[in-house]
Amino acid sequence: MACSGQDVAVEELPGRGTLWTWTIQRFMPKTPYNSAETAQTFTPYGVGYVELPGGVRVEGRLTENDPQKLRIGMAMEVVFAPWRIDEKGDEVISFFFRPVE
Amino acid sequence: MDVAIVGIGIHPFGRTPARSGLQQGAFAARLALQDAGIEWRDIEFAFGGSASAGSADALVNELGLTGIPFINVANGCATGGSSLISAFNAIKSGQYDIGMVAGFDKHDRGAFNADPKELGIGQWYGEVGMMMTTQFFAMKIQKYMHDYNISTDTLARVAEKAFVNGAKNPNAWRREPISVQEIANSMMVSDPLTKFMFCSPSEGGVALVLCRADHAKRYTDTPVYLKAASMKSRRFGSFEVFAPSQALQQVDGPTVDASRAAFEMAGVGPTDMDVMQLQDTEVGAEIMHMAENGFCEHGAQEALIQAGATHIGGSMPVNTDGGCLANGEPIGASGLRQVYENVLQLRGQAGEHQVPGDPQLAYTHVYGAPGISAVTILQR
Repeated sequence: MACSGQDVAVEELPGRGTLWTWTIQRFMPKTPYNSAETAQTFTPYGVGYVELPGGVRVEGRLTENDPQKLRIGMAMEVVFAPWRIDEKGDEVISFFFRPVE
Repeated sequence: MDVAIVGIGIHPFGRTPARSGLQQGAFAARLALQDAGIEWRDIEFAFGGSASAGSADALVNELGLTGIPFINVANGCATGGSSLISAFNAIKSGQYDIGMVAGFDKHDRGAFNADPKELGIGQWYGEVGMMMTTQFFAMKIQKYMHDYNISTDTLARVAEKAFVNGAKNPNAWRREPISVQEIANSMMVSDPLTKFMFCSPSEGGVALVLCRADHAKRYTDTPVYLKAASMKSRRFGSFEVFAPSQALQQVDGPTVDASRAAFEMAGVGPTDMDVMQLQDTEVGAEIMHMAENGFCEHGAQEALIQAGATHIGGSMPVNTDGGCLANGEPIGASGLRQVYENVLQLRGQAGEHQVPGDPQLAYTHVYGAPGISAVTILQR
């Protein structure tokens, strides 16, 4: 924060934006990475920053992991999807960015 | 009160199974004391850092319990720079005449894995797999290449230079040249960066003896003077590592801020520098840091690197000892390795990696998580 103030409010962000930059995570990270994967089942994943107009740039996992299909400036939208099942059997949900069709 | 470097010591970088990180630090410290012609009991204070090899001040167990203040420093990959500026300030204050800066590390193999909690970030960020320094550097250079037309060939050429220089540096880890083709075709780690474009965590130790400039000639015929030492952290709106979000309005990063402050303190400019050691966590970092430190315009790196300007014999030699790419990255030591190399260069003692033409002014730059940069300017 720029002003050191503590009087903050929660703002709803737009769900659509443009891909500001991206990369593909090619190897399985060590802890604290916690997915349902093993070294054998790991699939490379996309990560990017999406610029949400009038708001901020948000970093998130991408649903696309093919570098040929990702371009800076492309339209993206946020989606929510299951990430893993936790120790109590509850679904852990995360947000992802998906290319707009 | 000016400050001089009057003793330097290094433990070879790479992997030394026979020695702990602390022992590598002690090895370097003893060489630095010897270089200055003094004993540990002559040292009045010390600053030091190690990320993975224990507390730097445990060095007193190796060197002697003399009761001096030994402060541990932790600023990610900028630790060496932070340690040095702390010592610089201590002598400049007039409080001390002579002290030591030491840094050493011994990391496990594989990428660094940071804990989000330690940087004030929620655990979720690491759980979903975004707590990776490799991603930040890849994304930053991805954007930079798009904005400024930097080619993938230029990425590979930076790594090629690193290994050429490493081959000329007896203390480097990677001492074999690797071709542009092999670099480009090595395993993709985080697009667009391949394995040989990244530094790897490694081991090593460096120590320096600093004293007040007016005492320097007591210890050495070749003192090197610290004309500037600056350190800055990120301001709101800069794009830094481990950032779950960023502001739309961007400001300059801590590298730009630290660089400007250092040039102002020293009263010189980028064109006055004869040799530069710039943070090369990966090839993109070296490229971007050339502009962020003021050595060229954004985008000019493409032509400069293709023309060989950043090689040892070129117009702007960068990372003459092979940088982090050829030496690896022992976090506590790297910033001091850069200073060690610059002191060799200014003394004319860099052997096969010596920059020709009698260099007078040398520059170091480090950058570390979560957005810290430290810069020094050294003069003969």
